[in-house]
This record gives sequence, structure tokens and C-alpha cells, in this order.
Amino acid sequence: MSTRATETDPSAPDDAPVYEERVSLLDRVPRVVWLVGLGLAGLGVWQGIVALELTSRILLPGPAETFEEVISTAGNIITGGHVAEALWLTTQEVVWGFLAASALGFALGVVVGETKFGQVAVMPYLVAFNALPKVAFAPVFVAWLGFGINSKVVMATFIAFFPVIVDTAAGLASADKDTVMLFRSMGASRWQTLRKLKLPGALPFIFAGLKTASVFAVVGAVVGEYLGGGGGLGELVRLSSQQLRIDRVFALIFYLSVVGLALFAIVGWIERRIVFWHRADPSDVVSA
Amino acid sequence: MLRVEDLSKTYVRNDVHALDRINLTVKDGQFVSIIGASGCGKSTLLKIMAGLIPPSSGRVLLDGTPVLGPRPDIGMMFQQATLLPWRTALENVLLPIEIRDGAKAAHARSDLAVELLGLVGLAGFEKAYPGELSGGMAQRVAICRMLIIEPSVLLLDEPFGALDELTRERMNEELQRICTERQATAFMVTHSIAEAVFLGDALFVMSARPGRIVEVVPIDIPRPREFSVTTEPHFGEIVQHVRSRLDLGEQL
Ligand SMILES: Nc1ncnc2c1ncn2[C@@H]1O[C@H](COP(=O)(O)OP(=O)(O)OP(=O)(O)O)[C@@H](O)[C@H]1O
Ligand SMILES: [Mg+2]
Repeated sequence: MSTRATETDPSAPDDAPVYEERVSLLDRVPRVVWLVGLGLAGLGVWQGIVALELTSRILLPGPAETFEEVISTAGNIITGGHVAEALWLTTQEVVWGFLAASALGFALGVVVGETKFGQVAVMPYLVAFNALPKVAFAPVFVAWLGFGINSKVVMATFIAFFPVIVDTAAGLASADKDTVMLFRSMGASRWQTLRKLKLPGALPFIFAGLKTASVFAVVGAVVGEYLGGGGGLGELVRLSSQQLRIDRVFALIFYLSVVGLALFAIVGWIERRIVFWHRADPSDVVSA
Repeated sequence: MLRVEDLSKTYVRNDVHALDRINLTVKDGQFVSIIGASGCGKSTLLKIMAGLIPPSSGRVLLDGTPVLGPRPDIGMMFQQATLLPWRTALENVLLPIEIRDGAKAAHARSDLAVELLGLVGLAGFEKAYPGELSGGMAQRVAICRMLIIEPSVLLLDEPFGALDELTRERMNEELQRICTERQATAFMVTHSIAEAVFLGDALFVMSARPGRIVEVVPIDIPRPREFSVTTEPHFGEIVQHVRSRLDLGEQL
């Protein structure tokens, strides 16, 4: 059989086509180049729009002016000026709002994910609740809790807690069926199954929810300040835009995103310590 | 002795008649293999025998007492190793003790767990996480986890289905040695006729759904068996016989 195969198998000519391995351009160029390149391109477009005077300078300041404003704001922050005060207030609101959203979201997530009652009776209300335009509640919270920090913390919590519920419940439900059976066969109580199997298994999901919440908490705090006054970066944004100081608005938004990113990074850092057995998710640009 | 009497199971939710009047006996220290078409109710039977789900009618008796829920003297093993990825091999093995008697008791039995891991050729892997183990190694950890509470009955649901042929043969020899050593009663579901014949003292053939036992094939190959018996004519005859029964079962 083998001899027949060699007899009828003429060796290929030297100029026969070769199945070449192709490395895509994306892989050949270091990823930093792509990252920086795209960023610069974005700035270029921005600068282009400003240079061609497609809009008025007042409505759209250029990258250079914005950068200047970011630097001078940094000066204000370092020397403990009014922006530093506002930043500190907003940070407090975000952190408290995030912590409250995490606790509330986790607790409700366990109820929804672990109990039949939660699944049948609680979850439909939560889904309906999530469809509400939550931002519209800001004035209500101000009316109830005043112009101080409380109404903003509640607003941040209010906007941020839902994803934590959904992800916690999904994480608990993701427990492998056979492993759940195994726990039952070992005589594990419901609490033991939750503690030793479902909760650890849900951690990657829970952290995904917490990351979403960390970003949402900033939105909630700023919306609260914006609509409910009383101080903070959101209040400064409102004042600056009324004065048509768009460059300052941009600078303030920059520092707001720093608050959100810092919280996001801290949550990601804790996740990598705790959930060591699980591959990081694609939004985790730090460890990628 | 493990007895199943007139056991039937219908899943009410989707009206699937999975098992139909199953009667069987597994004697103490006996190794019984069960084989049948996919979906004929083997896993269902195993779960009922383990007390994990109730039967629709009939009952399961272990040493004369009815099985009414999960029991500590029954050890289970599944097709997948089902290890907890956040626990080391050693911690996974100790899990059943931790659940039954608490973390302190589990810690006190570490030596036994280390010994078991050594027994299945995993010495030095105590601190490894499941993500760092191969499929066969993970399955061996699962065996240790089943054995640590010294169950008198082992219920195995395609325990080596996910393994490659060579590893599977080694695991079969391992399991035979462990069962003989401990005089454990074992009931194993498998899709491999060779595995069923190699390990079993008897082989139950199940019909397609609703699952019934259509034949009990005694396997009189002397123990301890080495994998070379699989090439002997007598082994081949039994395999051939089981195959013909299975085909018959499909037609029923
Ligand atoms: N929890 C369940 N609810 C409803 N029906 C089920 C359930 N579990 C199994 N069944 C049905 O019962 C039948 C038998 O299932 P079972 O898992 O016992 O088969 P099996 O013999 O183990 O199959 P396989 O060899 O593929 O593992 C199947 O038709 C399946 O659809
Ligand atoms: Mg099955």
C-alpha cells in the first residue's frame, strides 16, 4: 500500500505555491504604537476642527488650551484651592456611593440569585426599577435629603447598584450543576454550598459588576451635584459652562474621569489579588 | 448490600419517562458496570441511588435501610473532575471532611490526604491548583476526594469519560486496585464497553428510554486484572456479547 502511494505521488515542483503564514500588521507593530497612534489621531481631528474654525473657539477650545487648563487646575488642586475642595467632596460622594451600591447590590443579588422568592417576587420589581430614568430622581433626593453630601451619595448608590445585583445573581447561577450535586452528595448545607462553592465561583462576575458600579457611581455623584447644587466638581462644571468656560469644563471632566478610573483600577487590583484562578476580562487594560 | 426495588422515574417537568421498574442488587464488595445508550437514564438512576433526587416509585435500600437523602457512606464521582479552582489539590481532597466536620477536622486529616494523593501518583502536587493540573491528574484528585471519607459504596458516573485512552487505562487499573484494597462496593456508569468489562464483576445492560435492565452479564475474568487481558479471546467474547445486547437494547 505504501509503495503504491509513493509511486503515484510525484514530488511537487520547486515553484509550487506555499501556504504562507501571515502575521497581521496589527501583530507586527507593538501595541503601544497603536494605542498612542489612535490617541494622537483623535487629538489631530480635534485640533483640525479648531484650526479650520468649524466652530467658535469659545464653544470648542483646542487641545492645547484644554491641556493648559488641566495644568492650571492641577496647580489649584495641589495648593488646596477651591477645585481641591470640590474634588475631595466629589471623591467622598463617589466612594460612599460606590460602597453602598456594592453592599446593597451584593445583598439583593444574593437574595435574587439564591432564593426562589427573590427570583419570583423581587427580580421583576428590580427589572422594572432599572427601566426608570433614574437621573430624574435627583431633585427628589435633594428635596428629601437637602443640598448636602447625603443626596449625592444616595444618587450615586441609586445609579450604581443595579449592575451589582445582576452580576451577583448571574454569578451564583453559574455554579456548575455537577459540582452542586457533589456538594449535596457530601451532605453540604445550603449555607456551606453558598459559602464554599457559589460565592467564590461568583467572584469574577461580582467584580465585573463592581467595576461597572465604580464608573456609574461617578455619574450618579456628578448628576446629583449638577442638579442638586451644593458643591463638588459637578457644581463647578455647571458654573463653568454657564460662564462659557468650556476649556475649564473639559479640565474638570478630566479630573472626574481620573476619580472614576482610580476607583476602577483599585477594584481591578483587588480582583487580581482575590480571584487569582480566573482569567482577567478584556476591559482589564492594566494587566493586559 | 445495595438494592434497587421496582424503581421508576418520570420527570414531571417535561414528562420524560426515564426509568421503568428497575430491579437490581449489588453485593458487598462487588463492582458493577452499567452501560446503555445516551439518554436512557443512567445518570438518573445513579442520582436516585445516591439519594440526590427522589424516585417516582420504588425504592433504594442500602444494607436494608431505605435511602432517603444524601448519605455520608456513599461517595460520588462525576464525568468532570468538578474540582474547586480556588482550592489546592490538597484542599480539594479535604473538602468532604471540611463540610462534614469543619475546617479544624479537615486540617487534622491533612496527612491522610497527602497519603491518598501519593497513592494515585500525585506526590508533590499537594499545593497545585486545578488550573495547573492535566485532566487525568484532576480526575485522580477527584478520586482521592471521594475516598477520603472512606465510603462503603462508590457511585461513579462516567468518571473517566473526559480522559484520553492511555490515561484512562491507567486510571482503570488504579481504580481496580483501590476497590480491591478497600473492598468497596462500586456502581459505575460508562460508555466504554472495554472499561465496563475490565472493571466489572458484572455488567448491567440498559435499554433505551425508558431505561430497563435488559441483561446481567457476569464477568468471570480472575483478578487482579492487568490491561493485557483486554487482548485475550475471552475478553473479546464478552465485549462482543455485550455489544450485541446493546444493539438489541437500541431496537427495543
Ligand atoms: N433534571 C431533569 N429534568 C427533566 N428531565 C431530565 C432531567 N435529567 C434528565 N432528564 C431526562 O431524562 C432522560 C435520562 O437522562 P439521564 O441523564 O439519566 O441519561 P443518561 O443515561 O445518563 O445519558 P448520558 O449517557 O448521555 O449521560 C433524558 O431524556 C433527559 O432528558
Ligand atoms: Mg449521564
